[in-house]
Amino acid sequence: MDLIIRNGRIVDGTGLPAYQGDIGIRDGRIVSVGGRIPGTAAEEIDAAGRVVAPGFIDPHTHFDVQLLWDGQARPALEHGITTVVPGNCSLSLAPLKVEHRPRLVGMFQQIEEMPDAAFDGAFEWTWESFADYLTALRSKLAVNVAPLAGHSVIRLWVMGDAANERAANADEIAGMQELLRQCLEAGAVGLSTSFVDVDERLQPVPSRYAHAEEIDALAAVLGEYGRMLQVVPEFYATDITLARVDQLAELSLAHQIPTTFSPLFDSAANPDNISRVMARVEQQMARGARVWPQVQTRPIDISFTFEVASLLFAGTPGWYRTMRLPRDEKIAALRDPERLARLLEEAEPGGNTDRFRNMRVRAVARREDDILVGRSLGDIAAERDSTPARVMVDIALANDLDASFVATDLGHNDPARVGALLAHPMVHIGASDGGAHIQSFATYGDTGYLFSRFVRERHDLTLEAAVKKITADTARIWGIAGRGLLQPGFAADITVFDPDVIDRGDEVVAHDMPEAGMRYVRGSRGIDTVVVNGAVAWSAAAGGYTEARQGQVVTR
Amino acid sequence: MPAEPHDATPRIERALVAPGHDGSAELLLRIRYGDGSSDSVTLDAAAAERLLDQCGATALEQLVGQPWRRLLTVLEQSGD
Repeated sequence: MDLIIRNGRIVDGTGLPAYQGDIGIRDGRIVSVGGRIPGTAAEEIDAAGRVVAPGFIDPHTHFDVQLLWDGQARPALEHGITTVVPGNCSLSLAPLKVEHRPRLVGMFQQIEEMPDAAFDGAFEWTWESFADYLTALRSKLAVNVAPLAGHSVIRLWVMGDAANERAANADEIAGMQELLRQCLEAGAVGLSTSFVDVDERLQPVPSRYAHAEEIDALAAVLGEYGRMLQVVPEFYATDITLARVDQLAELSLAHQIPTTFSPLFDSAANPDNISRVMARVEQQMARGARVWPQVQTRPIDISFTFEVASLLFAGTPGWYRTMRLPRDEKIAALRDPERLARLLEEAEPGGNTDRFRNMRVRAVARREDDILVGRSLGDIAAERDSTPARVMVDIALANDLDASFVATDLGHNDPARVGALLAHPMVHIGASDGGAHIQSFATYGDTGYLFSRFVRERHDLTLEAAVKKITADTARIWGIAGRGLLQPGFAADITVFDPDVIDRGDEVVAHDMPEAGMRYVRGSRGIDTVVVNGAVAWSAAAGGYTEARQGQVVTR
Repeated sequence: MPAEPHDATPRIERALVAPGHDGSAELLLRIRYGDGSSDSVTLDAAAAERLLDQCGATALEQLVGQPWRRLLTVLEQSGD
């Protein structure tokens, strides 16, 4: 054997109770599970006291561009993610004509917040077709990639500028069908579309101009291959989301395809949303439709700067008015002792500092203020013998307003409601958005948070159920064959972790994008080893990432 | 302006700041229709600013009771 993982607590992805044993691997595949494997292997890992699980599958990512220079999809891999699905929300890097590259870059920058440098020299554009894109990707991969083809780029290819202007005619729809067919033949695991996203000009992305017959025609092609339709519905409006659930159900039934929509999240401001949407999902699933809502594990944080008026301040009219002033007037107002005193009294009436105390400094422009990043305003205020609101203003002014702050856990933050939702048998755990929004918040570590918060702390899911949700269930929903279970013959994608420790790390600023571009990331806690197609791709004992590049494009 | 008891005009019944999927704060409005039914509309920060301006409001509470046509105008501008 090439690799034996010994003495582990095997959680095999089926949801059945864990059991002790060894796992043997040869030629990238699992050949033996359970019991004591005699003899030795070229490499052995002692997993005593650790869980040995199938590698986690992340079904909603935007790692498309990053994968071209970072085949490890950092830091997803160190969280135990062995397969990522890029190409969500109607956007993929292929199929794409040369002349449309600037358009796609604009859309990606808007959605992923990827800097210019990421597209300018960090990789070589060598493809137009989906097949050639996958060829460019294959040699670099440490993780597996199950790529979606994006509706917006398919539209752009067929319709050119008109893709952003109107519905397609019959010939154009036929052209899109043929192009999608080529993508699926090349290895796309489905099609993504969006009813929500906007481009860099804040105009609707091309997929949003499609009429229902165009989507139906493309779903018919998906039906030829039994492939997935991923959709971003109007998640901010419950009634429209319900209509989209119905639409997806009809497409699923008519063309015998799986569909998934994301995101679905809980909010105290719209408390009926989850129950209404899930009731409709249950209704449609009972008809035999496959409509999988994706739900994220992490709560939603809200970031803000003093440069732009955030609605977070709408509850304090004086602050909101000040935030809306032109820049120079705003700075003058904040420097004016009398006006500032009034603002402070409004924010902290009678010395009550609850409003801003738990907010944290997210980023600063001045190097000398780096030590403040990650700290709470309450903590800094205590150190300075000041108040949270006052230190927030001080930090903003000291950085010429180029400082950002974060209010954590403001949405999707009721653990009982979210825990029950995650455990629901018709909920597909996903929607991490890994690799997107990189300059706003970290989209990594949701799997660690699932185990720490909803398994270990709250017991909403058993360990076995949680593993099944993010491995075998995901593979089954997406039709990813031969992965997601620890069984002989399956790909040796394996995550070894300490169930008492696994978690997401703190959110930190990293400058690891091309040309030292910035993003927010989270490291992992409690992950020991990550194996991809039989090769150790990440090992805590070995110091982290390895040179292994055994990742594959996961096709049919 | 508060709604009349038998007023058929849909009006804003509630205005709340809510977290958006992309990490920004959004304004969630509950609209109450003349027949008693209700629905929600979400505005981003820019649209919310326009709505406050249109209504001459300086606080969210002042949006309550405003007729839905104010909202329509704001949403039309979002598509410009």
